[in-house]
Amino acid sequence: MTATPQSVPSIETQLAGYPFLDADLCLKCNVCTAACPVAAATTAFPGPKAVGPQLARYRQPGAPPPDPGVAWCSGCGVCSRVCPHAVPVAEMNIVAKGQIRPRGLRALRDWGLSRPAEVARWTRPFRRIVAAVLGSFGFRAALEGMVGLARTAPLPSVATRPLRSLLSAHVREVPTDQASGKPTVAYFHGCSTNDYEPWLGETAIRVLEALGVTVDLPPQVCCGLPLQSNGAFDAARQRATFNLAALQAWAERGLPIIGTSTSCTLALKHEYRAVLGLSGHAVDAVSASTYDFFEYLDQVLRVPPGSLDLHPIPLRALYHPPCQLRSHGVGTPALAYLQAIPELELEISASECCGVAGTYGLKRERYAVAVEVGRPLFSQVAQSRVDLVLTDSETCRWWSERHTGVPSIHPLMVFAASLGLQGLDVARGEPSTT
Amino acid sequence: MKSLIVVGAGLAGLYAAILASSRGSPVRLVAEGRGGLSLSHGCIDTWKDGDVRLGSTRLAPDHPLRAIGHRPLQAALAAFLEITTRAELPYVFDFDMSLHLPSPLGTIHTCAAAPRSLAGGHLADPTPFHLGDLAQVRDFSAALVASGLRHRGIPFSGTLALPMPVPSTAGRPDLLTLARALEDPAFRESTCNQWAPHLQGVERLGIPACLGLDRSGEVFDSMRSRLGVDLFEIPTLPPSLPGLRLERALRREAARSGVELIEGPSVRGEVDGRSGGRRVSGVVATTAGGPRVFRADAVVLATGGPLHGGWLTFGNGEVQESVFGLPIHAPEARERWTESDPFASQPYARFGLRIDDRSRPIDIHGRPYFENLFAAGGLLAGADRAVEGSRQGIDLGSAFVAIEAALA
Repeated sequence: MTATPQSVPSIETQLAGYPFLDADLCLKCNVCTAACPVAAATTAFPGPKAVGPQLARYRQPGAPPPDPGVAWCSGCGVCSRVCPHAVPVAEMNIVAKGQIRPRGLRALRDWGLSRPAEVARWTRPFRRIVAAVLGSFGFRAALEGMVGLARTAPLPSVATRPLRSLLSAHVREVPTDQASGKPTVAYFHGCSTNDYEPWLGETAIRVLEALGVTVDLPPQVCCGLPLQSNGAFDAARQRATFNLAALQAWAERGLPIIGTSTSCTLALKHEYRAVLGLSGHAVDAVSASTYDFFEYLDQVLRVPPGSLDLHPIPLRALYHPPCQLRSHGVGTPALAYLQAIPELELEISASECCGVAGTYGLKRERYAVAVEVGRPLFSQVAQSRVDLVLTDSETCRWWSERHTGVPSIHPLMVFAASLGLQGLDVARGEPSTT
Repeated sequence: MKSLIVVGAGLAGLYAAILASSRGSPVRLVAEGRGGLSLSHGCIDTWKDGDVRLGSTRLAPDHPLRAIGHRPLQAALAAFLEITTRAELPYVFDFDMSLHLPSPLGTIHTCAAAPRSLAGGHLADPTPFHLGDLAQVRDFSAALVASGLRHRGIPFSGTLALPMPVPSTAGRPDLLTLARALEDPAFRESTCNQWAPHLQGVERLGIPACLGLDRSGEVFDSMRSRLGVDLFEIPTLPPSLPGLRLERALRREAARSGVELIEGPSVRGEVDGRSGGRRVSGVVATTAGGPRVFRADAVVLATGGPLHGGWLTFGNGEVQESVFGLPIHAPEARERWTESDPFASQPYARFGLRIDDRSRPIDIHGRPYFENLFAAGGLLAGADRAVEGSRQGIDLGSAFVAIEAALA
């Protein structure tokens, strides 16, 4: 299928018509400043209020930003969530931050970091060589010097085959015929699951099918969030437009769109409208139809956790709800299912954000601050002596694993193992072959 | 065990959620942003004259503290002290004595309970005290406190200018930045080294609240013993450390006791049609995606007063409670909502929901709107909490009564 991208207005045009970016709603109460994990980690960041609602009135479309401090914003979204007056602080700052883009080789780095699907596609034929080269500390040090990609930042390995090729039987141009009366969903895997962790997508489909759900793999490209985070709004909007055109067919038939990456699903639900400024029927329909995996089990399929025949998983785990999941405003739907697993001892993360916030922590100039943001989480992991960290976002998993040495996997992997559908290889995060 | 939805994450909402959850009830706390705690002084006010038992206080017939009753209020205070002690933020409280503490303007703030680090400022304590200005630090003036105290004839020994090591890159640090920096033992030690020469002969010292954020007990104790001075803190402008510490301590306790926190969405109430409209079934949250339904056996509204979104006015003149749309009785003529003297008690402050003795909102005939809908805190009618100094007493008392009734 080919989705024709609609003509995309420039960011300046978008800004001019932004009803959301109303700085005048701000009471200057500083609730966001007190809650911001980046402001807590570095005094270089004046805080979300100071660089957001306070400075927004001095920003003119096309003019240089009055304070480069906004570049320290990681985009974790805590500020918008805690605001008692519904000011879209994070959205305002993400748009402002997009105007400050690095030049030279760092621009090349950001170009690459924003395109995980393309990078995977180009490097897949040489993936062993690439993995070996990236595993060399000397090369990473040189890379850090040249393009500013932090030398100890975790980078995932490209999978041998993408999910769409592994599960080509599920690929659909249009929704599966509804005659069977079985619930049908579209699975939005995102680029991470397609290219780097296909076993997560296979597991999601296995669990859904075991619960009697038909799963379609609709046409899709990267959700565009990495582009948006790196200020490439026009490119992000093109990805968004493609996805909306493709997913609309499911949304309009009332079929849920399910994701296992909380940042991709947040992009579909919220960022397309609130940051990229898209409007219209397709974006509204897709937003309202999108669910996080466990949110779908709870809200749509209505599977009571107590009704499942769950096998014991005798492990100690820390559950960290990612900052992006918290921004969904649906609570922590995975938790009730994890709590129902016999012998799984759970501790809950006390941190708002692990620090990496997508691609933020991978950059040399942000790395130390991102580690500082994550320190409370890393200390909790160390003190609680858990066997594994469970978190719904891939970048959180890679980041937490790098800084704690404790394996980090998606809650779904534990849930699927408890359902008896597959084994659990804690160390690798993949389903065990036995 | 009955399940519960609490709407609002201020003092009343967090406290209600912790009470219910620690009794084993599954609790969801839904809040459109954070509550007013980080803007507050962090103390517990029950009445402006410090009457903790409310024995001598003449309450108007429709005052919420009358519906709450003084025994439940005392039980509520006791439960609060237990929670804050568990959260390592102990409060000082004595049934027979209220605390009189200096405010940042040099007025006298009378309260029933205060965090340990603030309680040391009790003005009835005869130990002489100084007031300390911290060099370069924003948002506090010892001279302003001093002039207020002098005006009121309160004796003190004078003001001091204390030098500060500046934390890392900050220019003029705010108190929150300083509080975080003081949790680092090395920064604390260099601060003490700079202060010590200036504290010869000082027995007691009031400084702006800055002694740590999540580890304030450790910061307070170590600096007090290192300096050999009876330190106490004076609350300041928002973000106010004593309020912020309480908010963070209560959030930690809520998480620890198993409360599921849903932060961000606004909610509308859902009435249980099968009960013939006599019961509520939960709330519908406007989430990042679409509306999501959360159901429970009871709902507690802790959405706050006129300045916090608990009730709203509409263009057509209607005034409604913001979740279930319950009517709020207010004069039609808006000029009767306010007094021309800004410091007088404002009529609008008394608007809100009237409650029965189980903290359920009632209609004009005194009948509860719903069997399982409860209200607590600033949303309640009949009190001007700012002028009466009754804010936290109403928060804790009504939340306590609501939880007792909701889980019964």
